[in-house]
Amino acid sequence: MKISLFSQAAYRQLPGDFEQRHRSCVSTPYSLTSPEHVYDSYRDYLDELMHAARMGFDGLSVTEHGQSSYDMVPNPNLIASALAYATEAEGLEVAIYPLGRSLGKTREPLRVAEEYAMIDVISGGRLVAGFPIGLSYDASMNNGVPPIDMRRQFDENLSLIVRAWTDPDPFPWNGTYSKYQAVNIWPRPLQQPRPAVFMPGSGTPRTMRFTLEQDFGFNYFGWFGQRVTGQRVFGRFWELAESLGFEANPYRAGFMQTIAVAETDAKARRDYAPHLEYFFRKGLGSIPAEYMDLPGATDINGVRALVKDPGDLGIFATLKSATFDDLVEYGSVVIGSPETVRDTLVEFCRENRVGNILAMLGFGSLPRHLVEQNITLFATEVAPALRGIWADSGFEHHWWPERLGGRPRHQPLDRGSTVA
Amino acid sequence: MTGVREEQLTVLDGTVTFSVAIVGEGPALMYLHPAGGLEFDSFIEDLATRYTVYAPRFPGTDPNAPYEIHKLPTLLDALLAYEELVRALGITRPVLVGQSFGGMLAAELAALFPGVPSAVVLLDPIGLWREDLPIANWTTLPMEELAALLFHDLDCEGARAMTELPDDPDAVADIVANLTWALGCTAKFVWPIPDTGLVRRLHRIVAPTLIVWGEQDRLIPVGYADEFSSRIRRSRVLIVPDCGHIPQVERPDVVIPQVGAFLSEVATQV
Repeated sequence: MKISLFSQAAYRQLPGDFEQRHRSCVSTPYSLTSPEHVYDSYRDYLDELMHAARMGFDGLSVTEHGQSSYDMVPNPNLIASALAYATEAEGLEVAIYPLGRSLGKTREPLRVAEEYAMIDVISGGRLVAGFPIGLSYDASMNNGVPPIDMRRQFDENLSLIVRAWTDPDPFPWNGTYSKYQAVNIWPRPLQQPRPAVFMPGSGTPRTMRFTLEQDFGFNYFGWFGQRVTGQRVFGRFWELAESLGFEANPYRAGFMQTIAVAETDAKARRDYAPHLEYFFRKGLGSIPAEYMDLPGATDINGVRALVKDPGDLGIFATLKSATFDDLVEYGSVVIGSPETVRDTLVEFCRENRVGNILAMLGFGSLPRHLVEQNITLFATEVAPALRGIWADSGFEHHWWPERLGGRPRHQPLDRGSTVA
Repeated sequence: MTGVREEQLTVLDGTVTFSVAIVGEGPALMYLHPAGGLEFDSFIEDLATRYTVYAPRFPGTDPNAPYEIHKLPTLLDALLAYEELVRALGITRPVLVGQSFGGMLAAELAALFPGVPSAVVLLDPIGLWREDLPIANWTTLPMEELAALLFHDLDCEGARAMTELPDDPDAVADIVANLTWALGCTAKFVWPIPDTGLVRRLHRIVAPTLIVWGEQDRLIPVGYADEFSSRIRRSRVLIVPDCGHIPQVERPDVVIPQVGAFLSEVATQV
């Protein structure tokens, strides 16, 4: 099992009635912030990531959200770059894992190829490259990509990036969404022929199938209530893998879970409950539902399926007013003593064949000393029980850097070309 | 609506197929529907008593062929497709009537191909942009809010007919999916701001043009009526009182006779 810290740079001092008055993205008034609190969020965020690296986490994961108060990170690669150098300088063997640059959003795909190559070089070959399609509001409202073009732009950008990394010769790129006279990036990634790629998905079969066929890892985020969505989504993933003839290697699958550990169940509730409510109500819960899926972003058949059966959305629609008890009941958070958390996660990972955990241990308004407590307790009391779950499964981790114990394999690539 | 027949016509060297609803009898009139897709109303019914109404579904908005939209990379491709469609239908000098998004298409076609239309009717068209006259991005709104923006009086007969949903959940799923996809298809060329440079082309329109605007249009403010008319030489403006963004549905009592009078008048001039 590979265990990464999943971290976001939330603004932590939003007013109590924020969710009644504001959205958490696109139009959130910046006048709600103060410069020192923005600075503190960033400083703590980076320090917490470094703390996790020193505590022996396998990876450090960061995400991209433009114009958002719940994750003030319009480009995760700037963070990843700082982490790549700092961990290299300290000799910390940890993956640098942006989850990462959204290819449905970016209008400069070659810059993404270059940034990832630079991070791989700076870190000495420790990059795991995340490529999300992206959030609908972020790609379309924040960056002007027509929703109906988002998925197609993702596909084209990914083809270009993989080719830019792997083609030894300069090539012209006559794409629909970008055109380049001669692509010949310097540097190329250190990992040859390319770093491992993970793609997050919300549960649509099309994305799952794509990750399998491209031999990418698949990430699923459990915020909408892992107890109601987890088995649906992973069940679908493994059924699809089987039907397409792919081995059920658990290391293909990554799972992001908000987790809160304290010495006892009661203390966990005392320490974390208000900050969890802050995170879910003022963060995800304050994104208007329509911003998550603007018209055209989801295929017409996908919209029909979602109207008929909204089960994959879990408790998303009620997050704005979710109570701590709701969040625990539906599994949006796994919380408690080390033993409670351990038991829940071990069972979930075994049942769903999860080989990569992305542990979100800082959330919402949680202050630094509690994030560090959470990281320390998770690393020392929970992680050891997870680490060996798949050790005897006979599977190898093909989606992790070789320098960090992975066994990358590279099937012939579907290398993009704009030549018909 | 009775008497409607559907035809499939292929344009752009066989790459794009239009579904065209055809109804009525008389001289040719092409009706270009708004962003949400083609719906029949009493206005079209009235036109069909005097014209052969050709109502092409914007590529992608026919639920039977949702991916036609992907074959049109740019607005120019879409406009060329419509011009070819006019020829493929074998009609000459049709009247062009367009509502909202369709109004922009009608204006674009009339500007790009000034010889194509014999007359133009624009009903609260999109296509121009002034920062001091803000236009809500209708594709980012929840359906209830969108409906409230479209009508001055949400209780009017037209509004109720448009926003009514059937009881059958499968039918609702189809309606929501089709409407959502139609909004996505039509947003492709006007995202994120519905200004593709039409302001620089409007002067090319030579056909007599009627610009109809709901006085209380909360989606595209009525101030845009003058922006259009000041750039189109043979144009006049009809402001419809107590009326929102869809005048032919909210105030057919005003729009049907006034548009009828305009079309009769210009017919005698040709």
